[in-house]
Amino acid sequence: MLTMTHLVALTPLILVCITAVAVMLGIAWQRHHAGTAIASAAGLNIALLSVLVIWQMGPVETPLLVIDGLALFAAILILISTLVCVTLAHAYLEKYPGPREEFYLLLLCAAAGGIVLAASRHLATLFFGLELLSMPLYGMLAYAFRERHSLEAGIKYLVLSAAATAFLLFGMALLYAQTGRLDLAGLAVALTEDPNAWALAGAGLMLVGLGFKLSIVPFHLWTPDVYEGGPGPAATFLASASKVAVFVVLLRLVLVAPAFQGDWLHGLLAVLAVVTMLVGNLLALAQSNLKRLLGYSSIAHFGYLMVALVIGDGLAVETVGVYLVTYLVTTLGAFGVVTLLSTPYSGEDAAALHHYRGLFWRRPYLTAVLTVSMLSLAGIPFTAGFIGKFYIIALGVEAERWWLVGGIIMGSAIGLFYYLRVMVTLFLVEPGMQRRDAPHDWGVRAGGVVVLGLALLVLLLGVYPSPMIEWVKLMAVAGS
Amino acid sequence: MNQNATALIAEYWAVGLFVAAVVTLCVFMIGAASLLGGRSRGRSKSLPFESGIIGAGSARQRFSVKFYLVAMLFVIFDIEAVFLFAWSVAVREVGWSGFWGAAIFIFILLAGLVYDSRVGALDWAPKRRVRVDDSI
Repeated sequence: MLTMTHLVALTPLILVCITAVAVMLGIAWQRHHAGTAIASAAGLNIALLSVLVIWQMGPVETPLLVIDGLALFAAILILISTLVCVTLAHAYLEKYPGPREEFYLLLLCAAAGGIVLAASRHLATLFFGLELLSMPLYGMLAYAFRERHSLEAGIKYLVLSAAATAFLLFGMALLYAQTGRLDLAGLAVALTEDPNAWALAGAGLMLVGLGFKLSIVPFHLWTPDVYEGGPGPAATFLASASKVAVFVVLLRLVLVAPAFQGDWLHGLLAVLAVVTMLVGNLLALAQSNLKRLLGYSSIAHFGYLMVALVIGDGLAVETVGVYLVTYLVTTLGAFGVVTLLSTPYSGEDAAALHHYRGLFWRRPYLTAVLTVSMLSLAGIPFTAGFIGKFYIIALGVEAERWWLVGGIIMGSAIGLFYYLRVMVTLFLVEPGMQRRDAPHDWGVRAGGVVVLGLALLVLLLGVYPSPMIEWVKLMAVAGS
Repeated sequence: MNQNATALIAEYWAVGLFVAAVVTLCVFMIGAASLLGGRSRGRSKSLPFESGIIGAGSARQRFSVKFYLVAMLFVIFDIEAVFLFAWSVAVREVGWSGFWGAAIFIFILLAGLVYDSRVGALDWAPKRRVRVDDSI
């Protein structure tokens, strides 16, 4: 039975849902773009404050959800990236010829889905959260449906995601048939007593479903096309909040359920991790489109993150936390710049690299933000990315998994080349095709301020990471 | 591990046999037909054959997108009825908390219905897109 404690613990989720319903009623009452954006941002901010308030409460478990350190940590990351998407979308959609307000509705629903997913302790909430996260994303990706690429991205994600969901459901059905339980704790107990082929098959199929959302390598084929085609804010959300939520739930599965800890599956995860980082980085080399390049780079980054899943003990949770924070801040910065350059909406996003040629001579500060993000993605010292990569390599060395460490180093070396290639393009002298440019007052608008803040945060976390590490440690302690 | 594998095979050999049999049967049917069957070519041989009549018109008929919209709205509110049915069976057992849960559920769907009618999703006639357009 739901008690008051449960309701208090669920406040962030409830607040996001209330905001979504309020925004929907607001649209029905009167269409007002700025008003809708402000209402969404206000709701998300209040939800964020409520997370900070209930941080002290300690783990609370309802039959379907668990609000522990890990769930709250993920909720904070999801809410922050949704806020960034709202501010970016406000500027981006200003000139959009069509209904603009529904984007925020979809964004809020997806954020609620992400929070549910990260807090799930039952296969029902896992599935429900995953679908609530993905369904609005189809709409967001195909939002500019008069653009061929955007429509293609939406449909592609819809069809492939439905296939992945079928795998996930079949995996769940096999686990249920084997154990008769759907809650993760019960599954864990039942599977320790009697591990067999069907349970392993179920776990493997679930891994396929989740691996698709994370674009782990054999299931990565959708990533570049969808990133390229989706409108800027939607792609930003897909690359940040969606991936964080799915990764957190995968971490929970691996830590809690021993079905995911069998030797065979561990070996598989290790192979997938190495293949993912190498293939992601190698394919990124040939890209001439910044959004595609960022898509492949995110594939590679989730390959690095899977190292923590493979090792799965010691500092693994803390490593995942630190890496997710650094990845999120950096990705939001990079996608923010791409979105700002395509702002306000007028057809396809400015993502081809030749748009960025000589950008420094027109927009020095925006270029600085993108440069910092690229350095951080490459893992150069004094940026946040370095701290994350340091943690991953330290974890691998401590567990003496030399193949994984070798893969990370190889991947980083390859990655450095294409990140630096983007940076060189930015500083080339001859001006490129100036078809698209950020608005002149971008620096004083909300989106510009957010992007500049993110770049400063990347540098700050790189130079002085201890507060973040302390915070993530707290999360890891509260979560285990 | 070896012992384990033997036990597994003993337990599940029938499944493996079934999979192998399915594959073998498919390969046999396609392979034998292509090896033994005769083959003839001609100008009209590649036309789709439907009870001796040549197909008329294109297979790609265009439907009004409204059909899909109606279908989706139907599913949404149909599912609402399904959930409420489950509640109505257990209405005494779940008590007030169940009542508030159902009330919130109905309120959210009502908000959705208001939204649908205001954006014009419930106007079946194809030409009425005025309300969406004039607010731009």
